[in-house]
Amino acid sequence: MSGPPETTDEESTGVDAVTLEVIRNACTAISEEMNANLIRTGYSPNIKERRDCSCAIFDADGDMISQAENMPVHLGAMPFSVAAALERYPPETLSPGDAIMVNDPFQGGAHLPDLTLVTPVFAEADDGETIIAFAANRAHHADVGGSTAGSVAADSTEIYQEGVRIPPVKLFEGGDVVEDVMDLILANVRTPEERRGDLRAQQAANETARERLRDLADKYGIERLGDAISEIQDYSERRMQTEIAQLPDGTYEFADVLDDDGQGNDTIPIEAAVTIDGDEILVDFDGTAAQTAGAVNAVFAVTASATYYAVRCVTDPDIPPNEGAYRPIEIEAPEGTVVNASPPAAVVGGNLEVSQRVTDVILGALADVVPDRAIAACQGTMNNITFGGVDPRDDTPYAFYETQGGGFGGRSSGDGMDGVHVHMSNTMNTPAEVLQTAYPLSVERYEYRPDSGGAGHHRGGLGLRRDIRVRDHEATFSLLADRRTHPPYGINGGSDGTVGDDKLIRDGDERDIDPKSTHTLSSDDVVSIRTPGGGGFGDPADRDLDAIRRDLELGKLSAERAQAQYGYDHRESESDDA
Amino acid sequence: MSNTIGNCRLGVDIGGTFTDVVTVRDGRLHVAKTPSTPEAPDEGVMDGVTKSQNDVGFRSNAVGFFAHGTTVATNAVLERDWAETALITTDGFRDVLEIGRQARPDIYDFDVREPVPIVERDRRFEITERLDERGRVETPLEESTVDAVAAELAASNIDSVAISLLFSFENDEHERRIRDRLQNAGVDVSYSLSSEVLPEIREYERTLATSLNAALKPVMDTYIGRLESSIDDRGIPATMQIMQSNGGIIGAERARQRPINTLLSGPAAGVQGAAHVAALDGIDDVLTMDMGGTSCDVSMVRDGDPLVSTEVEVGDYPIGVPMISVHTIGAGGGSIAWIDDGDALRVGPRSAGAVPGPVCYGRGGDEPTVTDAQLLLGRLDPDAFLADELEADVDRVEAVIEERIAGPLDMGLEAAAQGILDVANANMERALRVVSVERGYDPREFGLVAFGGAGPLHAGALAAELDIPRVLVPRTAGVLSALGLLITDLIHDFSTSMVRRLPDVSPSELESVFAGFERDGYERLAGEGRDDDEIELERSVDLRYVGQSFELTIPLSNGDVTAETLEDAAERFHGRHERRYGHASPSAPLELVTVRLRARGLVDTPDLVASETDGCADEAIRQQRDVVYDGTVYETNVYDRDRLPVDASFDGPAIVEGGESTVVIRPEQHATVDEYGSIIVETDQ
Repeated sequence: MSGPPETTDEESTGVDAVTLEVIRNACTAISEEMNANLIRTGYSPNIKERRDCSCAIFDADGDMISQAENMPVHLGAMPFSVAAALERYPPETLSPGDAIMVNDPFQGGAHLPDLTLVTPVFAEADDGETIIAFAANRAHHADVGGSTAGSVAADSTEIYQEGVRIPPVKLFEGGDVVEDVMDLILANVRTPEERRGDLRAQQAANETARERLRDLADKYGIERLGDAISEIQDYSERRMQTEIAQLPDGTYEFADVLDDDGQGNDTIPIEAAVTIDGDEILVDFDGTAAQTAGAVNAVFAVTASATYYAVRCVTDPDIPPNEGAYRPIEIEAPEGTVVNASPPAAVVGGNLEVSQRVTDVILGALADVVPDRAIAACQGTMNNITFGGVDPRDDTPYAFYETQGGGFGGRSSGDGMDGVHVHMSNTMNTPAEVLQTAYPLSVERYEYRPDSGGAGHHRGGLGLRRDIRVRDHEATFSLLADRRTHPPYGINGGSDGTVGDDKLIRDGDERDIDPKSTHTLSSDDVVSIRTPGGGGFGDPADRDLDAIRRDLELGKLSAERAQAQYGYDHRESESDDA
Repeated sequence: MSNTIGNCRLGVDIGGTFTDVVTVRDGRLHVAKTPSTPEAPDEGVMDGVTKSQNDVGFRSNAVGFFAHGTTVATNAVLERDWAETALITTDGFRDVLEIGRQARPDIYDFDVREPVPIVERDRRFEITERLDERGRVETPLEESTVDAVAAELAASNIDSVAISLLFSFENDEHERRIRDRLQNAGVDVSYSLSSEVLPEIREYERTLATSLNAALKPVMDTYIGRLESSIDDRGIPATMQIMQSNGGIIGAERARQRPINTLLSGPAAGVQGAAHVAALDGIDDVLTMDMGGTSCDVSMVRDGDPLVSTEVEVGDYPIGVPMISVHTIGAGGGSIAWIDDGDALRVGPRSAGAVPGPVCYGRGGDEPTVTDAQLLLGRLDPDAFLADELEADVDRVEAVIEERIAGPLDMGLEAAAQGILDVANANMERALRVVSVERGYDPREFGLVAFGGAGPLHAGALAAELDIPRVLVPRTAGVLSALGLLITDLIHDFSTSMVRRLPDVSPSELESVFAGFERDGYERLAGEGRDDDEIELERSVDLRYVGQSFELTIPLSNGDVTAETLEDAAERFHGRHERRYGHASPSAPLELVTVRLRARGLVDTPDLVASETDGCADEAIRQQRDVVYDGTVYETNVYDRDRLPVDASFDGPAIVEGGESTVVIRPEQHATVDEYGSIIVETDQ
């Protein structure tokens, strides 16, 4: 045993395996700390309770180092915001204390409610203050103006109806808020004080990262830290390449559709050809429908996010998500389509609904390539509902927005989960007691939809039924949902899941509600949302008899359906046992 | 005092491997360890008591206080080994228990499973009835639907029934009527009502807590019954007290009714013990780390009180009852080091556990662990393993680290071992940071109390990384939980949700809620032997801004509730909101959500007598060994903890052995021994 510390080091330019892992942990801790701070200081329930926000740090070139995301749909989209901010404000035009705000989907955003704040981090170098990194965070704001409260208008046809559009602008300069810009934004939203509070929290989160990144630069030196960060990105790239290289080369195609756009255009195809070539993946969306008149258009950043998510799920989810992890993934999305919309398309449903279908087609294409991680289609929608009106209990206006879970797809490891959020969403529900206390609405029924999961060796998860009654007032109601006519697909011989089905129950009569529509409801009207079940996995004939019996006992499967789908006769089987 | 029968106090904590019995008599502390008996934990308890009696020499009738930290409820949850249970809900809501909050447990893992519902769907029954948000009857209870359930239950093998109706925290009448009607129909089982177990808003969390309580009741009842009769047979006069997850003890009788309140019984006692020893040195704000073989439990103590949360998860389930907030990380002495396919060095979360254990245990472990790295760098004494009848095989450890880590990474053996520790510490550092930041605190403002077998090995390096000025290693590091049992007050928590805008709250209505709680509190504590002057009451309310969905608990002054009391509370709410979340809106309307009372029965804490060793630190030096710190070898003094006198003071690098763990003091650190035998490690500025 001997020697001073230097002798155990690798040559001075390389970064050894230990330093790599220690700095990687430190960078992950910075994103997590930002995230904890944003959730802690955020003002609106959408950030604090639903956690519809994400935080990340980027290197001096704007390439992502680490990310703490609560919403998968934010996964790959934030780098586009940083790139757009840097295009508008090149590094030499930035000073310490500046921060850039953006939400324009056509310049680095995703949909208007998502506001992203980008902050350059400076440190003292030999030649003065220099940018060593960027901190960025994205939060879904409960209202950004536009034609309807909550800014999720199912019937918009142009982005101008969807809310205030913010290209990259400096919201902070030299540490101070630029009041003119702030005033302009707040003048365009319904709840300005709440927005101001959330924006302040976003600024505070980036400040946390600024402090920690400077500490890291002090500890390791700017150059060594830079080397380590490059190595962290290379490391993710290596791991992603190793995973992809294990998949068989070839081109795999899959097509699916969105039901409609709410403007009379039905059956909107989304197609993907996924090519595995050595240690790279190319996803080509050629054949996808041209952008549409309704709100179901996605900008490229959303499509990229959904693609990264799908690839991450079928490779090793442990690979740290950063710029390196995405290097081996190339995406071709023709401009002017629903997966790469051009202005002035309406895009709010792109984030919410198109993102789900993009995931479905990529996972569908890869189902045979990754047999262990293959999955039938999940419910494929977020079932967005919005109620608005005046609460008769205190005569104050209210707006209530929530999304509904449904069936998870059957998978190689077992049945799909019942009644959960799938793929690009993972927000929590609103407790019935909280809903009724806060709004003049009551949940009458919240339960599984028996028989809604696609039959299979491993069945699809069940959809949900949620009935909400309007109490003592007149309300507007808006629904933005999909998978109402085209069901979530089964794979490997599994059956499709059951489509969603929405009813208005008035005076005891049920009538259908269009999946993308707005209505005026009277007191005691009940809206009944019945969400899709997941697709089945594998031949129903292979399903374990005990699993069929158990679903019958639990009331998740009816005797008629057991007979029809599995050829299982309840009585006969019982007499066999006896 | 009421404890006049005996002068001997016993604290018993059951751990995974050992059952610890701490005895305090005349201010002197004694520790007995006996193997745990997982099949019948009460046998291990009685073995420990016997060993204490033999070691210390006291008669059974001298035991005036007997407190117990139990893992019976926790194990039942982790192993899902509980009673046959049914659930009764409002019509349309039987699936709430299984749907939960509709989020999936992992975003990217397609193999992830939802938690198994505590009561399966075929045992969940619906009753026609409905209350509105103020507890007013909207649909009357339809008794025929209760009778139908009674018929089904009578024909089943159900042992326990949970009843959880919407808005029952506002009005418990329907829940009580259902129970009475079932009982009258001859359904002779134990009952848990949501209006009693957790009368708070949010139906999923309340229904889950009630169902879990119901499922655990028969389990806890059997266990306590057996243990109580063993204690009686032994002639111990003290009534047994049980540690709750909220950091207070309760009488065993109460624990039988509310097993849900004991889920973190053991860890809560550990944090209480840590808070106590830190407070003796005047340190009121500490992070605690309890690091064992497979994991590390981190928690936070602020102003001398452990932080309590209603969002702690046990197994797969979020538990809504107040518990000491403990965050578990998969980093322990047995955590395995490995190289992933991107060539990074990783540590954990897989652990070698106790069997086969680290390579150095010589039980067939062939993967390098954190403990092996400590041994290789000289921080652990190879000979000490003999005490546990293990023979440390240093050559074998070197071979495994060379083959699995150093060779593939082209590093020296020591650099590889140091790397394993650096990576393990980086994981823990990240957890300690996030745990404090989530609460709005800066770890630099805290001390660090390290315990468990591996905690004191890592604490010095973590403190240096986090700029934590002081580390405290208690003398009884391995038995802090048992000690915690002896210094803890009796605590009964009462609560009910009452969602009203603050201006709509009637002071007299609120006063009558508190008065009802206080009557029950006095009654229960009197039943547990407390006189009126040994009882303290703490009133508080959960408030929030209208439109928000999270609350802050604000303490109220005692004495009749007036309009002024509520104004005071509102003002304090804004202040606390500012501190915790960084902003406040004094003009925004407030809402009352939940009313709380904590009834505390004071326990006279034993005064511990300092150890009597004298002499100087140098005389405690057992040997000198080469120890590697950050790549440099230092000839390091190894101290015998039992021979270190009070006020001993020495510089790092140093190793202190004994007291069930090894303390590592780094070269730039300094150590002193306080009058209670704790070692304080400070980093030189």
